Amino acid sequence: MTTSSFLEKEELKIIKDLNFNICLQCGKCTASCPLFQRTGLNPRTLMRKTLYFVFPLKTYPPLSLSEIDDVWDCTTCNNCVIRCPRDAKPVETILALRTILVERGNVPSTIREALESIYKLGNPFGISNFKRADWARDLNIKKASSEGKIDLLYFTGCITSYDSRAQNIARSMATALKISEIDFSILAEDESCCGNEVHSLGERGLFEILMEKNIELFQRYAVNKIITTCPHCFNALRNMYRLEDIEVQHHTQFLADLIDKNAIAFSKNIEKRIAFHDPCYLAKHNNIFEEPRRILENVPGAILLELEHSRRNSLCCGCGGGRMWYESPGEVSRPSEDRIKETMDAGAEILAVACPFCLSELEDAVKRMGCEDKLQVMDVAEIMCEAIAGSRI
Amino acid sequence: MNIIVCVKSVPITIGAELMVDGSKKRVVLDGTPFDINEWDEYALEEAVRLKERLGGNVTVVTVSSRNVDDVILKCLAKGADRAIKIVDESIQEYDAYAVTRILHAVIKNMNYDLILCGAQAGDDGYALIGVMLASLLEIPYATMARKLELINGYVRVTRELEEGFEEVVEVKLPALLTIQTGINEPRYASIMSIRRAKQKDIISLDLKSLGIIESDFENRIEIQEFFIPEKKKECIMLHGDVDEIVTKVVEVLMQRGARGF
Repeated sequence: MTTSSFLEKEELKIIKDLNFNICLQCGKCTASCPLFQRTGLNPRTLMRKTLYFVFPLKTYPPLSLSEIDDVWDCTTCNNCVIRCPRDAKPVETILALRTILVERGNVPSTIREALESIYKLGNPFGISNFKRADWARDLNIKKASSEGKIDLLYFTGCITSYDSRAQNIARSMATALKISEIDFSILAEDESCCGNEVHSLGERGLFEILMEKNIELFQRYAVNKIITTCPHCFNALRNMYRLEDIEVQHHTQFLADLIDKNAIAFSKNIEKRIAFHDPCYLAKHNNIFEEPRRILENVPGAILLELEHSRRNSLCCGCGGGRMWYESPGEVSRPSEDRIKETMDAGAEILAVACPFCLSELEDAVKRMGCEDKLQVMDVAEIMCEAIAGSRI
Repeated sequence: MNIIVCVKSVPITIGAELMVDGSKKRVVLDGTPFDINEWDEYALEEAVRLKERLGGNVTVVTVSSRNVDDVILKCLAKGADRAIKIVDESIQEYDAYAVTRILHAVIKNMNYDLILCGAQAGDDGYALIGVMLASLLEIPYATMARKLELINGYVRVTRELEEGFEEVVEVKLPALLTIQTGINEPRYASIMSIRRAKQKDIISLDLKSLGIIESDFENRIEIQEFFIPEKKKECIMLHGDVDEIVTKVVEVLMQRGARGF
C-alpha cells in the first residue's frame, strides 16, 4: 500500500487507456451532472485532472489524490456518457479513479462498511445472509437448493431482499407470477450481491468474486432464464457476467411479454394518473424505455402521464453508484426532490418506478416534502400485482 | 517504532439468530462468518499510521481456536508487515487469562516499542487481555486510548472516561495501550490488496513450540450458563402537542438512565 499523494506506476496503468485525452473540455458532462450544482462534482475537471495525472505539466505542480475526493459523489447515472460529443465516457474515468482510491484503502467509512459487509456476508447491510429470503416467508416459493434444476430464476438482489419497503416489490412480483401460473425459483440464502454497486465503487476484485459465486450457482442449477426486479442486478447480470446461454430480463420486460401474449388476467381497475420514472440503469444504461410504459398503459383504468424529463433524458434519483451508502459533505438537497416536484407539477397521483433504489430514494423525498397524501411511489410490480390480485399485498 | 498489535477473530452476530448448545456452556457458531474484532481494527490502523509516519514495522499476533487466515490477510493488506498466529482447537476452552499467557509466551522475547490491543472484544466484552498482558510483561499501560502522541520515549495518551471526560497520561515506552473505537478512521482492504498480502510473512506457532503445556492454564473464569434473554416488549403511547410529547419523552429517557439534559 502506498501513502504517496501522487500516483504510482501501477496506479497509472489503471487510467492510462481511458479516453480522458480525447476530451474536448466542452463541459456538457458537467452541465448534465445531477450532482454538480449540489456538491460541485465536476466531470469535466476530473477528466482534465486525470490527464495531468498521466502527463504532468512541467509548469503545473503534480496533482494530489486528495483533489479527487469528489469522485464519491457520482451516481453513475450515465448522463455524461450519453451527452459527450467525443464518446470520452467520463463515468469510466471516475470509476477508475475510485479504483485507485479503493486500492489505497482511502474509502469513506460508510462505503467501507458496505463493501466489507458484502465481502463477508454477501449483502451490504451487515445482516446474516440466512435472512435473505425472509421476504418470501408464507409465500410458498420454490428454493433452488431443493429443486436441483430450475428453468426460471428470480434473482432478488440485496435491496429487494432486505429493505422492508422494497421487500414488497419481491412479494408483489412473486404473487403476480404465481397468480399467472409462472413456475419460478429463488436462490434464497445462496444468492450473493450481484456486485453492480461494488463495480461502480471501483472494487474490481470483490466484483469478480461475487460474479464467480453467482455464476457457479447458475451453472449448478442449470438456470435457463433469469428475471430481476432491480435494474442494477439486471445491468450486472446482462452486461458484465457474460452469461452466454442464459437469458436475462428485467421484470418490466418479462411482464410486458406476458401482456403481449395475453397471459395476464387483470381483476381490478387502478383509476389513477400514473407517471413513470425511468431508472438510470434501465433506461440510460440499457435503453429499455417502452416495456414499463406498455405495462402501465395496459393496467385497466390507469392514465399514463409522460414527465418532462423522461427516457434517456430522465432525472436521476441520486441513489446509484454506491450513493445508497454515502452522503456527500455539504450536499444541500437530493436530486430526488427535483423529480418529485416535477411529478407533482405533472399532476400524477402515482409515481411508478422499476427499481428498488429509486423506490427507496423517491419515497423518502415524498416524505421529506410532505406530499404523502397527494403522491404515492410504487414499483411497476406492485401496480401489476394490485391489478392482477385485486388488492395490495 | 516497532509495534505489536494483538487481534482477535470474532463472529459477526448482527442479525444472526444465535443458539446455545445443549451444555449451555457454549454459543453455537457453525456457519457464522468471522471478522477482525472492531476495536482491534482501530488499534491496527493506529499502528500502521505510526509506522507510516515514523518507520519501523507492525507485527500482528492472534490466538484462536479456529482458522484465522482471513483476518490475518486483512491485517497484512491494511499495512501490517508480518503476522504470528497460534491456532489450536483447545483454545476455545481457555479464558482470557489463559489466552493472555499464550500471548505473553509469544511476545516476551520480541523486540517492540509499543503493543496495541483493542479496548475490548466484540464477542465476550471482557476488556481483560490488554491489561493482563501488560502486567505479565511488566510494562506500563493505559486503557481506552482515544489519541496518541509520541514524545521522546513517552507516549502521551488521551484516555476516555465516563460522561464526556478525558484524561491525559504520559506512559514510558515500551508500553501497552488499549485502543478505543473512533480514534481514527480505519482504511479499507481491497480484495486485490488481500490477495497480495499472501506474499507477506505469516508465522504459525503451536502451543508446544512455545513451551506451553495444558496444565499451565487453569481457567480463572468458569462459564456457568449461556442463555437467550427473554424478549420483553413495552410500548408507551404519548399524547398531547409536540411540546408536551417532547417533555414526556425526556422524562421517560431520564427515568431510564439517560444523562446530559
